Amino acid sequence: MKAFFKYLWIQLKMDLRDKGTLLVFYLVPLIFFFVMGAVFSSINPLMKTTLAASMTIFSVTMGAVMGCPAPIVKMRESGTLRAFKVNGIPDMAVLSVQAISAFLHLFLVSVIIYVVSPLAFHSAIPRSPALYFAVLAVFLFASIGIGLLIGVVARDQPFATMLSMVIFLPSLLLSGIMFPATMLPKSLMWLGRIFPATHALQSFVGLAYQTKTDMNANLSLGIIAGIGLLMFVLATWRFNNVRRSEQL
Amino acid sequence: MTESAVSIKGLVKRYGSFTAVNGIDIEVGRGEVFGLLGPNGAGKTTTLECLEGMRKANGGKLRVAGCDPQSDQRELRSKLGVQLQSSSLPDSIRVGEAIALICAWHGLSERLDLIQKFEISDLLKKQYRELSAGQKRRLHLVLALLNNPDVLVLDEPTAGLDVQSRAQLHEEIRTIRLQGITVLLATHDMAEAEELCDRIAIMIHGKIAVCGTPAQVTAAGSKETRIRMRTTKGSLLPGGDIGGATFVKANDGYLEWNCRDIAPSVTELLKRVQDADDTVEDLRVERPSLEERFLELVKGVENR
Repeated sequence: MKAFFKYLWIQLKMDLRDKGTLLVFYLVPLIFFFVMGAVFSSINPLMKTTLAASMTIFSVTMGAVMGCPAPIVKMRESGTLRAFKVNGIPDMAVLSVQAISAFLHLFLVSVIIYVVSPLAFHSAIPRSPALYFAVLAVFLFASIGIGLLIGVVARDQPFATMLSMVIFLPSLLLSGIMFPATMLPKSLMWLGRIFPATHALQSFVGLAYQTKTDMNANLSLGIIAGIGLLMFVLATWRFNNVRRSEQL
Repeated sequence: MTESAVSIKGLVKRYGSFTAVNGIDIEVGRGEVFGLLGPNGAGKTTTLECLEGMRKANGGKLRVAGCDPQSDQRELRSKLGVQLQSSSLPDSIRVGEAIALICAWHGLSERLDLIQKFEISDLLKKQYRELSAGQKRRLHLVLALLNNPDVLVLDEPTAGLDVQSRAQLHEEIRTIRLQGITVLLATHDMAEAEELCDRIAIMIHGKIAVCGTPAQVTAAGSKETRIRMRTTKGSLLPGGDIGGATFVKANDGYLEWNCRDIAPSVTELLKRVQDADDTVEDLRVERPSLEERFLELVKGVENR
């Protein structure tokens, strides 16, 4: 366990040295938050009610879906996984450390957004901060699960980027964080419901802000947790399969 | 009888319908430096990867430092050091962190002795991306030695290195050998194999074509040793065989002979020069190289 935490600590330090990681986990989400926060809160005062949640969903989706796969694909392509394995570091420790470090970075960004939103944009404070962070934790779990699955499925970086975009763009446009999902055609509204971002917004609104939702907030939270569990199971299964097939 | 450090019996490894390694047998004694040579695709890396437990063999029995590479993985990791042919570390990891990380997974405190021995203390704060190719190889060698292994596997450790880095790494491998660590070295570099290995095996198309000391392997070839000699008075005349050596030609004041066993030939030549009251101005003995023997073997297999 000591070795695992040492690895996690080194991974966090490496992340802070890596420009790509800083860009995708911190810089772009926070710039987007400040720009869109200013725009949304001035053109649509209603957005102020859920600004922190909307911007958190954007940041987490971007960080997890765009940021998580790249290091996994790179480690497989470059031979780092093999080097780690022959030196006694198990494959699953690598996957776990990637997941936990992503969780910590994205949680930190989410806390920044949570704290700054009311101060900078006079957005509403959730009625239940505890439920806000509980929903956040479940949403992080699901989003990182998707990121890991993309990382272990994609054979190279361009394919990983393509898969990430397939998840990221619809999450952004169909989840209701940019504009109400009820404004969308029915087919797109239903399509949006396969993405955790849609359910995350419903859960934040219903459970943390305790205002009216389009869907049952508890059910939405359950769906996110289910998606997360499925993603982690699939990512682990696929990762083991890939490692085994590489050793045929 | 003491157990071999590495024992390979009838190893077979297939990738689909292609047989990469076809029933090879190798025994490597403790403290021996054993070289695995062969052209690209001969099965060297596959053989090493089976020994490292990175690939599962389709047939045969393998033992590395007394461990089965598949069923005793945990024990194997504590007894085996590996420098892979193509391996990497995360770009932003510092050298010191990489060493601390691997030590932690081996359950060891940091190996300051190795840091000093391999003179990498000035690299500890450098990130992996900032290292030169030679420094990266040195780091991977240090990482492979952190667990104080019984057996060290080096897969083309000097490929792509400049002359200075190569010489430095050779020196380090010699030091490792003095510690009694068994070294299994896969290489394309014949000079490297001749210089470092106690014994070598040449693999071609997944089979061992020849195995022995570099001198034995070279001597078993069809190429003969060439003797070139020039005397002050030119007392020896062209033509005629001397002491088992066959005359080849006269060129630029030199007479040239080919022979299999140089001792009687050179002794006889020197005796003739002395008898003729002449003196040797220059004497050169050019043994066939391992590279020539290697090419001969590869050509022989391809022509079959």
